[in-house]
Amino acid sequence: MHPEIARIQSMLDSQGYIADRDLATSVYLAIQLRKPLLIEGAAGVGKTEVAKVMAKALNTDLIRLQCYEGLDATTSLYEWNYQRQLLHIRLQEHSDLPLEEKEREIFSEPFLLKRPLLQAITHDHAPVLLIDEVDRSDEEWEAFLLEVLSDWQVTIPEIGTIRARHTPYVVLTSNRTRELGDALRRRCLYLWIDYPVFEKELAIVRRRVPGVDGQLADQIAAFMQFVRRAKLDKVPGIAETLDWGAALMALHRDHLDREAIEQTLGVLFKHRDDAELIRTQWLDHLLRGLEDAGREPKPWNQSTLQRIADNALPRR
Amino acid sequence: MKRSGDLTAHVVGFCRALRNRSIPVGPKEAADALTALAAVDVSDRRESYLALRSVLTSRRDDLFVFDQVFAEYWNPPQEQQALPHMPEPLPAAGDAQASSPTSLRWLDEALAVDGEQTPAYSPVETLTEKDFSAFSADELDEVARIVIRIAKRVATRLSRRMRQSKRGRVDLRRTIRHSLRRGGEIVDLAYRRRKITKTKVVLLADVSGSMDLYSRFLIQFIYALQHTLGHVETLVFSTSLTRVTDALDEADLHRALNEVAKQVPDWSGGTKIGYSLRTFLREHGDQLSPRTVVLIISDGWDTGEMDVLEHAMEEIRRRAGRIIWLNPLLGSPGYEPICQGMRVALPYVDVFASAHNLESLRQLEQHLAAKR
Repeated sequence: MHPEIARIQSMLDSQGYIADRDLATSVYLAIQLRKPLLIEGAAGVGKTEVAKVMAKALNTDLIRLQCYEGLDATTSLYEWNYQRQLLHIRLQEHSDLPLEEKEREIFSEPFLLKRPLLQAITHDHAPVLLIDEVDRSDEEWEAFLLEVLSDWQVTIPEIGTIRARHTPYVVLTSNRTRELGDALRRRCLYLWIDYPVFEKELAIVRRRVPGVDGQLADQIAAFMQFVRRAKLDKVPGIAETLDWGAALMALHRDHLDREAIEQTLGVLFKHRDDAELIRTQWLDHLLRGLEDAGREPKPWNQSTLQRIADNALPRR
Repeated sequence: MKRSGDLTAHVVGFCRALRNRSIPVGPKEAADALTALAAVDVSDRRESYLALRSVLTSRRDDLFVFDQVFAEYWNPPQEQQALPHMPEPLPAAGDAQASSPTSLRWLDEALAVDGEQTPAYSPVETLTEKDFSAFSADELDEVARIVIRIAKRVATRLSRRMRQSKRGRVDLRRTIRHSLRRGGEIVDLAYRRRKITKTKVVLLADVSGSMDLYSRFLIQFIYALQHTLGHVETLVFSTSLTRVTDALDEADLHRALNEVAKQVPDWSGGTKIGYSLRTFLREHGDQLSPRTVVLIISDGWDTGEMDVLEHAMEEIRRRAGRIIWLNPLLGSPGYEPICQGMRVALPYVDVFASAHNLESLRQLEQHLAAKR
């Protein structure tokens, strides 16, 4: 492995983020080639986290832009500070300055409110710019973003053109509710994050659920592998796994049994129908799967659990 | 990994192989690939794979194909060094110069050697051109009238929604500018309004042999729908998928139908719904958004693989606002959706309705206007 990739991996690791080689390589290349990194994957697999730990690892600031339907250039780039402008106009009411002069005054930099994109461009050292859930924005805004990502400069009619002093590191995330345009995709490096394999999820549980018992951690990670085979409306991600682990800890559980699972289903499944489906149709099979796994020698691995799941669980 | 001496040539060949499998890789991506390889440890196969993958793919659907091509190309079976168009090995194994304009031009040419290739299709396609002029005139008129009525009512609903929406947000920037002229007194508020995106309809019509009885009839319906609704994208499929939106845009119905018949290579052929839907996702997937209604007209007889169909339906369901499946067979008494394709697709469908006569088309109105 390239030493720098190894360094990034251990840096992410020291920030509490378990990164596999795929992710570490992509982050490394994004930094090296200075290309935006587009991360896609289901909700709750840790896409947003990548940008956060990347900023920490690079020891720079994180500027976050949360996308939503209707996000426009104004809200993402800059806005004028209207209250301040109004106040200023009042104060200047009796001055003899010509109108043009007054206008120029209130449309100058002190009255400018910088929104995330402009903040990123004018930052005094290269920040990490996180453009979160870009699939939620409209196509028009996507085109606008593409322009910013290409030129790293913006034009404010009243002030002029502002050019980035340092090209920011950019991370875009998408849950794929809308397909992004080819132009934007091709500008970016691409990384797909899947639900974690058993070994990775186990490492995450051990790391992020304080005081978790070894047996319980194994069972939690195995259970997640099993339960993601069900056809759910919202498949639980890593965030749910961690919440669930914390809930089980709070209930002083050291292993999984029917009672413990039934008590905490609500933490794992955000939709009533999902919880219901698991409780009524899957729980017996899941418990059998855990039982089968219990007979296997430790440490368990992904392929063992897959074999058990094939035997014990209903087919999709 | 191959020797790094001719790395550049191999990367270019690899890019071409990807392009032949319709992953969009241009000279810029090839140059990036070289830069990326220069930045990692190329003696490490896994690392080179990861680097190339992150540069040369851009969507999840690419990953599977990429893995296949990577395995074939970088680890070809013995004796099969068959890379006939491979250019002479070049120096400069992917250093920073790889992205200089000159080498870009060279990459451009190298990549263009065998140009765009369209994948070959299965031999079962019957290349018949359908003559649409056999329609009876009053039949045509009746369908057109009803569809226009349906479409108009849908349009009314949409415009009502627009009027009820607020006046828009106050545009402070313009308001302040105006007020300046009046000494800072705000007299008029300037508004701006968000553009309302209308419901878009994507029509996917099955014109395979098993649909023959209905497709002549339904194509008129589709024609009228497209002409009244505006935001309609129309594609037909049997073993392959053809976009006919532009052909149907022809003002004259008969001319439009002739145009469609000319463009669709496999009218009345077999059916591969799954593959067709997958092609749709790949090539026209950007048409889908939560505001899109996807209207599939098919009897659900699929001779392709079921998991391809299921995966495609799952994907459409996730991205589109609503899926309506019109099945002409649903009109026949005692019909149960037992054919395999229909069974697989059904869980993803919001509305499952018939489309065998005018009455059933009339009922379509309520499905189009409602929200999931």
